[in-house]
Amino acid sequence: MDFDFNQEQYQLRDSVRSFLEDQWGPKKARASLGKFDQNLWNGLCDLGLQTLLVPEKYGGAGLGLIDMVLVLEEFGYSLVPAAMSDTLLAAEILCLFGTDEQKDDFLPKIVTGNVRIAFAHASSDSTPVVAAGSGSIKLNGKKIAVQCASVASHFLVSACNKDGFEGLYLCDATNVKIRDHHAVDPTALLGEVSFEETPASFLGSKAVHRLLLTSAFAASAQMVGISSKALDIAVAYAKDRKQFDRAIGSFQAIKHKCADMFVALEGARSASYFASWALQDDAINSDLAVSIAKSTCGDACRQICNESMQIHGGVGFTWDFDIHFFMKRGKLLEYQYGDATQHRERVAQAVLD
Amino acid sequence: MDFRDTPKEAALRQEIRTWLKNNLPDGWGTLVHEPEGEADRAKYRLDWERRLYEGGWAGVAWPCEYGGRGLSQVEYGIFLEEMARADAPEGLNIIGRNLAGPVIMAHGTAVQKERFIPQILQAKEVWCQGFSEPDSGSDLASVRTRITRDGDHFVVNGQKIWTSFAQFSNWCFLLGRTNSELPKHQGLSFILIDMRTPGITIRPLVQITGETEFNEVFFDNVRVPVENLLGEENQGWRIAMSTLRYERGPEEALPRLVRFKRDLDLIFQTAKNTSRGGRVLAKDPVLRQKLATSYIELEIMRLNLQRAQSRVAKGEDIGPSASTTKLYWSHMIQRISEVAVEIGSDAAALLPADSAAIAGGQFAFRFLQTRAMTIYSGTSEIQRNIIAEQVLGLPK
Repeated sequence: MDFDFNQEQYQLRDSVRSFLEDQWGPKKARASLGKFDQNLWNGLCDLGLQTLLVPEKYGGAGLGLIDMVLVLEEFGYSLVPAAMSDTLLAAEILCLFGTDEQKDDFLPKIVTGNVRIAFAHASSDSTPVVAAGSGSIKLNGKKIAVQCASVASHFLVSACNKDGFEGLYLCDATNVKIRDHHAVDPTALLGEVSFEETPASFLGSKAVHRLLLTSAFAASAQMVGISSKALDIAVAYAKDRKQFDRAIGSFQAIKHKCADMFVALEGARSASYFASWALQDDAINSDLAVSIAKSTCGDACRQICNESMQIHGGVGFTWDFDIHFFMKRGKLLEYQYGDATQHRERVAQAVLD
Repeated sequence: MDFRDTPKEAALRQEIRTWLKNNLPDGWGTLVHEPEGEADRAKYRLDWERRLYEGGWAGVAWPCEYGGRGLSQVEYGIFLEEMARADAPEGLNIIGRNLAGPVIMAHGTAVQKERFIPQILQAKEVWCQGFSEPDSGSDLASVRTRITRDGDHFVVNGQKIWTSFAQFSNWCFLLGRTNSELPKHQGLSFILIDMRTPGITIRPLVQITGETEFNEVFFDNVRVPVENLLGEENQGWRIAMSTLRYERGPEEALPRLVRFKRDLDLIFQTAKNTSRGGRVLAKDPVLRQKLATSYIELEIMRLNLQRAQSRVAKGEDIGPSASTTKLYWSHMIQRISEVAVEIGSDAAALLPADSAAIAGGQFAFRFLQTRAMTIYSGTSEIQRNIIAEQVLGLPK
């Protein structure tokens, strides 16, 4: 048993962090609200992050989800939009479920940074996406709250066929309509995607389950990063801000909040790291590990972001301070791919029934 | 990162299993249990520890030079897991094994090590811890028990409290004041006291469970040979801190994990086998959320410990972050015990001795027992101060 990362994994984390500290973070995110920063994408591609889960024979790094979890944490820590993490996860899905033709076509494009894949999953009950046809499949319906919708070149879409069976479909962005959402999180580039007789290819019914699982895991890891940042800025503010002639961080009311936030963060880390191993190794029930991670990280992220804002006092409620961006991204991820209540029910089904 | 046993770990696991199978009585845990009375149970547990020693399973993670098995923290975790799987007795000399032994190994002279370590290993001498006093709880450095030099002896006067196992102990390690002129942290010394020395009076304290595990201990002109000073005079605080860190870290918490798993198993079984208002409790959507939360939190405790163990196994000092471990598990098990009581409902008011009790009265009993856990080994408030100041760097 070894519950730690190796040197290469820590080095990868460090290089991502130093790039993002230099090139991204709340200051840059603030400067490009509502827009996608192509320089950020190019820089991440220069680091080779888009190739992480692509096998070596397609020119990728051939790594696994354990190698990725610390990278995803850094994405949360620095508010990186979902285009990169979704493209990464899509590469794994294509490897597992794609035809040889699809792999040969797509994986090299992922490696060169020429495709960006977004995951379109959430929908309102009135406009489900339906897939029809067997030879040439067409999608119809609407998906909402798709991250980086307007800058994606392709979508992975969960949809039901006429018999009600859910499956995963791949389509390109030229045949869809995008409407930018008015959304709580202005840095996530959320959009509504409408499909009208959109040609798509089928990746199988098991692919949906895998993508929901890896996406819930990726959301968990990013929430760990968000929580870590929210705690860091709360602690920095508590050391700096003086009231009653003392740093507010010297008051136990603040100290004890921060200590509880740290305990919650460490628990979330444990859950997120364990889920990465469970997903990669198949030695245990990875569904259970992911549900534990999603519920634990979601609860921790909510607690830590809310408390961080409280510690900031009035300025935390102003647009000028950064904490709200992290709270908002955390809130988005808390409910995507199943919230804590849903995942706890899955845990109950696994361990009680 | 890999959670599976290495071949060496798997072989160790098998070896422990086989030994336990051959050394626990037939019908253990089903037909055969520990004795009921506290004194009989204490003797039974001590006998079990001696048996472990004879089997080569004492001091599993202690260095070989001290007669230990020299296994890693991870392997020690496997040992504890297998002990728990077999529901083996807990042992009596918990303070000796976990605190006195390591602190003497770290700070003792060659003579002290020779004198004390084998006796602990062989479960021949039981230890207790003389730290807290009636006026020195969270502010431990304010202890007032006086240690005065008189020729080749120290003379100890004062009172200790919350002293677990004092009534069964041969030895006590004690934190007292050798110098009242110096600032409070600097005038303390750490000495080892033979509990048979004249002048020691033990008075049991009845706990809210009705048990008398802990005691008040009075020291009235107790004469201790100077060679029983551990470390330097007036350096006791640093030594005491090293034991406290141990008390809060993963080694101490591992056996608890196993106990808590058993608690949760009983809660799950009861929830599955009990109906209320025509519905099985485990099917109630609100209770399911609480039961799942309990399961998840226990998993988080396990994973936190495994992360800490892996760091210790690589030679890292986890330092003040040990407080994180204790703060998490103590509140976690209190929350779980609340869920247990809710499952028990009206019958949860009944103790083990009552014939109408649910789950053998364990829910009520454990609810009471777990109240102490956020208080002993440093209250949650003290743990939060340590994390805030020493891990996060917030100002004093």
